[in-house]
Amino acid sequence: MKEIVRLENVWKIYDMGEVKIEALRGITLEIREGEYVIIVGPSGSGKSTLLHILGLLDKPTKGLVLMEGQDTSKMKDKKLAHLRNRKIGFVFQSYNLLPRLSALENVELPMIYAGVPPRKRRKRALELLELVGLGNRIHHRPNQLSGGQQQRVAVARALANDPVFILADEPTGNLDTKSGEELLKLFRKLHEMGKTLVVVTHNLEIVSEGTRVIRIKDGMIESVERRGA
Amino acid sequence: MEILKEVTRSLLSNKVRTFLSMLGIVIGVTAVIMVMSLGAGMKESVTKRLTSLGSNIILVMPGIVGGSGGKIAQALESLQEEDVKDIESMCPSVKKAIGLITGNFLIQHRDKNTRASVYAAPSGIFQILNLKISSGRSFSEDEEEKNVAIIGQEIAYNLFEDENPLGKKIYIVQGGRKLIFEIIGVFAKTGNILMLNPDNLILIPYNTGKYKLFQSHKNVSMILASSFSPEAAESAVMEIDHLLYNKFHQQENYYRIISQEAILNVVSESVSIMNLVLLSIAAVSLVVGGIGIMNIMLVSVVERTREIGIKMAIGASRTRIMIEFLVESIMITFLAGAIGILLGILGSNTIVSAFGKAYGLKPVINPLSLLVAFGVSASVGLFFGLYPAYRASKLSPIEALRYE
Ligand SMILES: Nc1ncnc2c1ncn2[C@@H]1O[C@H](COP(=O)(O)OP(=O)(O)O)[C@@H](O)[C@H]1O
Ligand SMILES: [Mg+2]
Repeated sequence: MKEIVRLENVWKIYDMGEVKIEALRGITLEIREGEYVIIVGPSGSGKSTLLHILGLLDKPTKGLVLMEGQDTSKMKDKKLAHLRNRKIGFVFQSYNLLPRLSALENVELPMIYAGVPPRKRRKRALELLELVGLGNRIHHRPNQLSGGQQQRVAVARALANDPVFILADEPTGNLDTKSGEELLKLFRKLHEMGKTLVVVTHNLEIVSEGTRVIRIKDGMIESVERRGA
Repeated sequence: MEILKEVTRSLLSNKVRTFLSMLGIVIGVTAVIMVMSLGAGMKESVTKRLTSLGSNIILVMPGIVGGSGGKIAQALESLQEEDVKDIESMCPSVKKAIGLITGNFLIQHRDKNTRASVYAAPSGIFQILNLKISSGRSFSEDEEEKNVAIIGQEIAYNLFEDENPLGKKIYIVQGGRKLIFEIIGVFAKTGNILMLNPDNLILIPYNTGKYKLFQSHKNVSMILASSFSPEAAESAVMEIDHLLYNKFHQQENYYRIISQEAILNVVSESVSIMNLVLLSIAAVSLVVGGIGIMNIMLVSVVERTREIGIKMAIGASRTRIMIEFLVESIMITFLAGAIGILLGILGSNTIVSAFGKAYGLKPVINPLSLLVAFGVSASVGLFFGLYPAYRASKLSPIEALRYE
């Protein structure tokens, strides 16, 4: 399978003046097309930091990040924004929807940045909301939706520009069991559709679904477990 | 575009603050518009009054002596008929010059009487001054020695009230003698213009006045001249001055020259100065308003930190974030500019209808000044929005997302 993103000896060090926090200490890993990668590890082990670097939201202190073979370290903001917009879909623990926009508009936003014409992006946003099971909630604002519904809007938004992979940072962290299960099903569906997923989670059910489970501890990869896929 | 929609939404989501942030600009623009329209209106109305008697007018008056050390101030009898001819023939910028003999007399009609300024002038006065006659006619060259008179509205009212004065006889009382005149015309109502009040004026032919009423020899009370054009007014004044200066053996206080053009220049200069002063006050208010906008935008950047982070995470470039904030501040100031323009127009009309009617003052709203007001307010938005927008664009997406 095609390689999507590769980290080579990635370090992330936060310089706090007196102390230096080594959040990531020499991570090397690659994500391939169609994988369902699960990242687990104790709190503070560097999972979010790793995901941010994979999502080009943050830059490593040391090491290389290659997106589809291209070194991202010298890329300008415009190029990085473009990659985030087209290649990557982010799902956060706290949903991070824009509160003033309706579900539909939230899903349309990445397509606006991508310059998709209005009619086309509306159609696509409607399809995506249908896909995540919110076809009847399109004009609701985030505060009129439950946590599970908001998270599904966020997934639809992440899918907007048909990205090569989706990153999710503890997506079920704020959800009740039932909503968590629905999200699990949605991820399974996406995986079956051929989407590449990288999910940080404590949810054991999700963990059991992954094709690869990466355990992180103290900023390093402790173990990698591959499952037949 | 999408940005406009997005920005409008964020402005509407905080109406009170948006409105408050506009105040400084609104006040500034209102002031600019009011100053400009009232200034222009004032200039126009004064100019209109000053030129209602004609243009390019130059007045030569005798000098005044005394007035200090117990001596009574007295106009010199310095100007002569010969000077009139010389001014007309020797000053190339002067188109026409006439001499006037003036005096104040008791006027009688039947049992009524009044006092009026009597001007004896050749019929050429009608070529220099645009004296409007509301009824009857003016006198012509071949009536130079006839006892005919054109009277002002005020005199007509004092002596005749509602009666038609045309064809009626009046007496001008000179010492013990009474001279009889036939009224052939009545001036239109004008009001006081350039030291001359046609409403309280009786105009009679020059020779009639000279020989019968004033019995003067060669003296004239003043000289009225016109230049070929407004541009020639200054050189005409200089030529006349040069001529008289030599004639009066370099005694420059023997005469005074007043040109309409010079008065107009003074008016337009004082309007300009007033405009400048008020506009700089308005500029201060615009700057203060701009700083207010900057302040609000900075607060708004902080408040929307998380939102900025989200947008960056889903693919908004820094440039895009910057533009969104810039468009927002420009929209605020643009809107403020529009409100300011409306209030300015409203305000100047209110002021005019409250105080200005009597002076024929009308606000003059120059489309250019509207454009300038819009331009200035948008630039204020751009300038003062730049720093907050820059700050927004420089946020790190991670830090921004972490922000609560
Ligand atoms: N912006 C930051 N400044 C300083 N330290 C940070 C910052 N972000 C994360 N860290 C530190 O880096 C380590 C890893 O954090 P994080 O990646 O959020 O862990 P996880 O997501 O696994 O809980 C933690 O010790 C955390 O305190
Ligand atoms: Mg985390």
